[in-house]
Amino acid sequence: MALGGTIRGKRTTLRTPTEDDLAGYNRWMADMRVRHLARVWHEPAMPATWKERLTEQTKNKESVLWSIESEGALIGMVRIQFGWDNRLRAWIDALIIDPAQWRKGLASDAALALHRYLFDYLDMQRINTTLRADNAAACRIAERLGYTEFAHGHEVFYRDGAYVDEIWLMMDRATWDARWSSEREYEPLGSRTLPGAAPRARGKTGD
Amino acid sequence: MFGPRLDGGNGTTLRPPTREDYDLFGRWQLMPEVTRFWGPRYGTQTPAEIEERMKKDGESQTAFLWSIAYQDETVGFTGVFGIDWVSRDAETGIFIGRHDLYGKGIASEAVRLRMAYIWNELGLHRTHNWIALPNRGSWRANQKSGYAQIGTYPRSWYRSGEWVDEWLGEAFPHTFPNEKLPPPWRDESSRGK
Repeated sequence: MALGGTIRGKRTTLRTPTEDDLAGYNRWMADMRVRHLARVWHEPAMPATWKERLTEQTKNKESVLWSIESEGALIGMVRIQFGWDNRLRAWIDALIIDPAQWRKGLASDAALALHRYLFDYLDMQRINTTLRADNAAACRIAERLGYTEFAHGHEVFYRDGAYVDEIWLMMDRATWDARWSSEREYEPLGSRTLPGAAPRARGKTGD
Repeated sequence: MFGPRLDGGNGTTLRPPTREDYDLFGRWQLMPEVTRFWGPRYGTQTPAEIEERMKKDGESQTAFLWSIAYQDETVGFTGVFGIDWVSRDAETGIFIGRHDLYGKGIASEAVRLRMAYIWNELGLHRTHNWIALPNRGSWRANQKSGYAQIGTYPRSWYRSGEWVDEWLGEAFPHTFPNEKLPPPWRDESSRGK
């Protein structure tokens, strides 16, 4: 599983990460705007270290990493971690968008595409995540997707000279189905004929 | 890293784990009597893998692990994991592998020693944990040392045909009860007065 395949949103595409993406990863992890709002995947490091990290991620069977593209350019990354003893559940442990691409709705588009894949393709039953309480944009995306808060940690992250709280969120399969049932990757199979079955004769029943 | 030796009351001690302890830890995590609220009850158990696990734990810069001894016999383990040295936040956990010793206050004493070390030696600002809601003994042990509930994670574990919720808690240095401060910190605190 370790490196994810292609997942298409309307304006973004999640795709398999490559070594060419790593300079972008390093730049985001070093960006104070990113660090104030979210947990980084790794600390900034030299290119060789980033290659080692990508190799380790490739071998990691407990998590999946994607790069995010928009209009053919790298704009972010997202990583999920499977549940400790339940692979029908996962945690989104990093979703980072290049600050130059903020406020364009790209995180929202990528998040929706990712959840569609997790619920409708992997048949996951629950997705969890944690957010810094002052990350208003991420909180709005999570609320729109259907996440609800199940815990609130106090004074968890230290940044900008003060502590900020953390909220713990979850979304179950039933919520996804109720809210996003029209959001499918493939057309429904419907009543297509099974392989080998005789096609229905046209005309006799008036259809 | 492995934590230092901490002697508490009630015959309970935290001490650095030995290679033999790691064999015990692995065996306990496969036993139904002590895994009702623990992991999947399967795992890799070759000596080489156990050795590697111990090496990784010992070298970790973001965790402290102790064996829990009761009357000089190893009966479980506890630790503080995933330390974020910038935010000074971490997760704590405890596992008693000897079900015949449940109810003797071993977990309460182990948690007291562990939290005193965390606040007085590691300088952490906050810790948090997850405990199965029906595992009352465990979250009570944590509450006695300053943990308070911050939420409930519904349907966390599926065990014996039913879903079990989980208790989420957090603790801070100021929530640790001063009168429970164990030596050597209590003695040093007294000397300062």
